[in-house]
Amino acid sequence: MKTTLQTRRQFLRTSMLGAAATWTLPVFLEKTFFALDAMAADALTQTVTGKDGTILVVLQMAGGNDGLNMVVPYADDTYHRARPRLGFAADKILKIDNCLGLNPKLTGSKALFDEGHVAIVQGVGYPNPNRSHFRSTEIWQTASDADRNISDGWLGRYFDNCCAGADPTVGVAIGGETPQAFAAKTRTGVTFSRPEQFRWRTSEPNKGRMSAEEMFFRQLNESGASEESAITAAGGASIGAIPGKAKSDLSTMDFLQRTALDAQLSSDKILAIARKYKSTVPYPQSRLAASLNIIARMIAGGLPTRVYYASQGGFDTHANQLNTHERLMGEYNDAVTAFVADLKQQGNFERVLLMTFSEFGRRVAENANGGTDHGAAAPMFVLGGAVKPGLFGKYPSLVDLDHGDLKFNTDFRSVYGTVLDRWLKAPSEKVLGRKFPALAIV
Amino acid sequence: MLVPLPTEKWNDETAAHLLNRGAFGGTPGEIEAARKKGLAAVVRELVDVNTDAANVPPPAWAHPRNIRAQRMEIKAAKDQGQNFQEKAREVRMMESENILDLRRWWLERMMTGPAPLLEKMTLFWHGHFATSVQKVKDAYWMWLQNDTLRHNALGNFATLVKKISRDPAMMIYLDLQQNRKEHPNENWARELMELFTVGIGNYSEQDIRESARAFTGYRIDMTTQQFRFAPMQQDRRPKNFMDRTGALNGDEIIDILVNKPACAQFIGRKLWRFFVEDEPSPQMVDAIASSIRAHNYEMRPVLREIFSSAEFYSDHVMRTQIKSPIQYLIQTSKLLETQLPSPIVAQNAMRQMDQILFAPPNVKGWDGGKAWISTSTLLFRYNFASYLINGDAMSPANAPQHRQGADLGFRRPAQLAEQTRRDPIDINKIIPAELREKPRDLVNLLSARLFQARPPEKETSAFVQYLEARKPDTGDETMRGLVHLMMSTPQFQLA
Repeated sequence: MKTTLQTRRQFLRTSMLGAAATWTLPVFLEKTFFALDAMAADALTQTVTGKDGTILVVLQMAGGNDGLNMVVPYADDTYHRARPRLGFAADKILKIDNCLGLNPKLTGSKALFDEGHVAIVQGVGYPNPNRSHFRSTEIWQTASDADRNISDGWLGRYFDNCCAGADPTVGVAIGGETPQAFAAKTRTGVTFSRPEQFRWRTSEPNKGRMSAEEMFFRQLNESGASEESAITAAGGASIGAIPGKAKSDLSTMDFLQRTALDAQLSSDKILAIARKYKSTVPYPQSRLAASLNIIARMIAGGLPTRVYYASQGGFDTHANQLNTHERLMGEYNDAVTAFVADLKQQGNFERVLLMTFSEFGRRVAENANGGTDHGAAAPMFVLGGAVKPGLFGKYPSLVDLDHGDLKFNTDFRSVYGTVLDRWLKAPSEKVLGRKFPALAIV
Repeated sequence: MLVPLPTEKWNDETAAHLLNRGAFGGTPGEIEAARKKGLAAVVRELVDVNTDAANVPPPAWAHPRNIRAQRMEIKAAKDQGQNFQEKAREVRMMESENILDLRRWWLERMMTGPAPLLEKMTLFWHGHFATSVQKVKDAYWMWLQNDTLRHNALGNFATLVKKISRDPAMMIYLDLQQNRKEHPNENWARELMELFTVGIGNYSEQDIRESARAFTGYRIDMTTQQFRFAPMQQDRRPKNFMDRTGALNGDEIIDILVNKPACAQFIGRKLWRFFVEDEPSPQMVDAIASSIRAHNYEMRPVLREIFSSAEFYSDHVMRTQIKSPIQYLIQTSKLLETQLPSPIVAQNAMRQMDQILFAPPNVKGWDGGKAWISTSTLLFRYNFASYLINGDAMSPANAPQHRQGADLGFRRPAQLAEQTRRDPIDINKIIPAELREKPRDLVNLLSARLFQARPPEKETSAFVQYLEARKPDTGDETMRGLVHLMMSTPQFQLA
């Protein structure tokens, strides 16, 4: 076994496993124990976790966010002609230069932009845009070309390629179902709506102590870690952190046992953090705010997560868009503003990068029902303490259209690639299949 | 070549294995009956089912509508600036209720229908010719495809592929109805080769372009919701496809593909993975592929050979397959001698376990095997077991959350509570009264039922210790707790 203790993480990992080995070592651990170091050396990138690492928060705006009314080309007459009812007058919007301004509800985002913490990438899309929610979402989630079908998600490929051996909580999605972006050969990442749900529930009524059922459940699922040691482990790695690559060599039973152990440890860790860390910053009442609040608490508690995923729905505004979109922009603004304040208070703002996306923007011209139909290119927001601020890409022409839709000028995979290479320190080519031009956003 | 299973190897364990894989599992009673009948008889019952006789009436709503008229109506309202939303919403709600009902309908056929293998093969083909209602957006079309799959599930593969090329749901899902002489759409042609017949590496980009032209003229009649062939739209010019040149049509393309050895390998490997083991050896794939070719792609004799083979019952195969979410749902309900959960709970459970009928994640279908299990889905299975055993009173948090999605409908919380209600199981159906005081015997009995095998001593003794720790309480709650504990294990995920 080649052991050169180079990093704190490696040291922690080795000693954690050393410690684990002195317990009665489950059979499936024995099999992978010695492969560990070789595996870590093989991994393309050292997975940095806990207090050391950078963190990506992906925020999905589901349904097709109207980019034109988020970043408004207020000085363009075409905009006002195309949107007699939905267009914002120049004096309503939050101007960022002579041509563009933000939606009136984005006050917090505007302040953050002025502070130099927001990069706005304009005209993002992909060739041969698909206008089906289902398909276009799939394209964004898998980072595939429009004429190819890929099952693995882009974040899943990141986990597969660059996080072998990482804790299962390397990816955390807040919500009812795992996003396709997390789909991977080796399934990593955990999904929950509320931390309290991510645990095994006993059949017995809660009597305020561990029930016999739970006690034996733990015994059966191989968990010996107490809450305290689970938290400590979060700083480096837990004994759940057996390299995922070894999986295919393991029997199905070994694999199930290890996943059960992972689930138990992750559950203990997440619950312990949820109990211990509360935000003092007030969050507004919305699902997105609740999701970001959970994420902020997990970050504060040092969960070894590289990628968090949250989503906001309701952007499919075919009719009466004015009120709906205003409410959504307000919710987004208030939730993200609280999240940023929370991270600043924790001292973690520099470590976190939040990136928004939507499956498409909307048609330039409003429709007869005061709404907008499915479109194509739209802006993405990238924000965080370490972001290089400003406007990137080019605002698409409102005249030179593709079937009434804005033409993209920046491929969304340029944004993904930049985030992978420069933020997560992962080789984007490996994850995205090829190199896309980088942007100076980080 | 597959070797037949020696008669003396036919026992409770092998019988249980056949029912697990060839059907959706058996109760101890069903396993005993199967053992007594003998291998040949059970295989005959499973495989030689008459697909027509096995048909039950379609759901009441499953008949074609004039979609064109409906769409024109909505569009006209929209163009005139009227409130079209109410109408559009009505259609969406109806479709989401219908697809919920379609899921119930199919799950019930799997659970209590007369032809479990037929249903299982239909599920296999559903994953193979993956088509999602998320794009098709019409429950009737999804039912129609399901019906086509079922009628051909045990028949000839080439025939099935030809039927599927004319199936409206598939045509919409892979844009075949947008394939024009002037603007060929290659989506269907590509997946036909990559995912449905020969597999990647066995065709060229030119084959895709040429065959896309062969599938021109395929249309859907929106007034009747049926396939329609438009001869004027057909590209009759010659095509260079693989080693053939000529005015090939779609069916001829399919025949060429099915005759390639790679196709038998591709289908054989997939079939073996579905029914037998995750990672078949090349020799196994060759064996099954030659069986497929020998039987000219007729599925019945191929399945008969698989289920009668010694390889199917080998040690490294039995009890090593991770139950698919559908298998989990059906088999658990059977083993607990209880009903399926309500349609809306079943639908939510399928979603949480990552296998929703009629909504595979993409055109590749479900990966299966280890991909079923993540920390989240495993925890969900453990907790869902509690809901199935104890009902909703014990675990209100298991109830599906109110969602604004088209899939879960548009229910008010009170409605939702009503539709997620469930009583605890009748524990006396699976635990004889006299065993309540005999922990080890009780655990052995339940192990035979739940695992169809005896788990390692370490686990058995944990179950026994649980009962000891609960003493002197041997009431229903303790019994249900034991069942839940036994189901909250890796063991229970295997079939």
